[in-house]
Amino acid sequence: MGLLDMPVFSALTDKMRWHQARQGLLAENVANADNPGFKGRDLKQYNFEDRFSVVQAPVVNTATTQPRHFSTSIGGGTSFTDDKMVNFEITPKGNGITLEDEMMKVTTNMMDYQAATSLYQKSVKILKTALGKTA
Amino acid sequence: MDFNTSIGIAATGLHAQSARMRVIAENIANADSTASTPGGEPYRRRVPTFETVMNNELGGRVVSMGKLAYDQSDFNNRYEPGHPAADANGYVQYPNVNTLIETMDMREAQRSYEANLNVVSVTRQMLGQTLDILRG
Repeated sequence: MGLLDMPVFSALTDKMRWHQARQGLLAENVANADNPGFKGRDLKQYNFEDRFSVVQAPVVNTATTQPRHFSTSIGGGTSFTDDKMVNFEITPKGNGITLEDEMMKVTTNMMDYQAATSLYQKSVKILKTALGKTA
Repeated sequence: MDFNTSIGIAATGLHAQSARMRVIAENIANADSTASTPGGEPYRRRVPTFETVMNNELGGRVVSMGKLAYDQSDFNNRYEPGHPAADANGYVQYPNVNTLIETMDMREAQRSYEANLNVVSVTRQMLGQTLDILRG
């Protein structure tokens, strides 16, 4: 049994991956902050329950046999979805990015990431203690 | 998107802002460059443009320097009959560079540069935190 078979580690890894993806989008926003008409993007809030519902709940899809049928299936998949940012300030360029806001987000992202990595570290330490090795 | 992508995207931002600084420096340096022949055109202010480009190698939307456009506003006329570039009425055309505007632009470029630099350093810290897991 590998580390990732334990729910704690797989959840934390997932969350770290989310922060990594978000950091990329925030870097995009900052780099393009001076481009006219650039629309900033951000990731949807991470939700552990979403992750687990995707894994645990069995998904039943209805078959669409006719073009008039509408699908009632819930979109599964584990890929993260982008959504447009809701910003209160839109500059005259048509560019909704404020550098201060982005800096705040970058820092928050880092702090949350740090929380995830230290939790991961602690969990490894607990395992080590259980194995009888002094951590 | 991994952390290297984030750093790469921020690096394109740094590159674009430094290119912008170069154009601003050109404008300020040439703020008094007149023509040397009577009635000739002086230095025309240049405007940097940025565009968003999808970079498939990095897998992100990076910024790149677009065309260097010319500022089409009017030149300043000054009455200097003794100047080699003076026209028949004694007026010399001076560049349409306003150092106040250039200074403002410079500040904006500086601020954007700092922001991109901050993204790079924060991303590096996050990478360091990932490596700290190994240390246990």
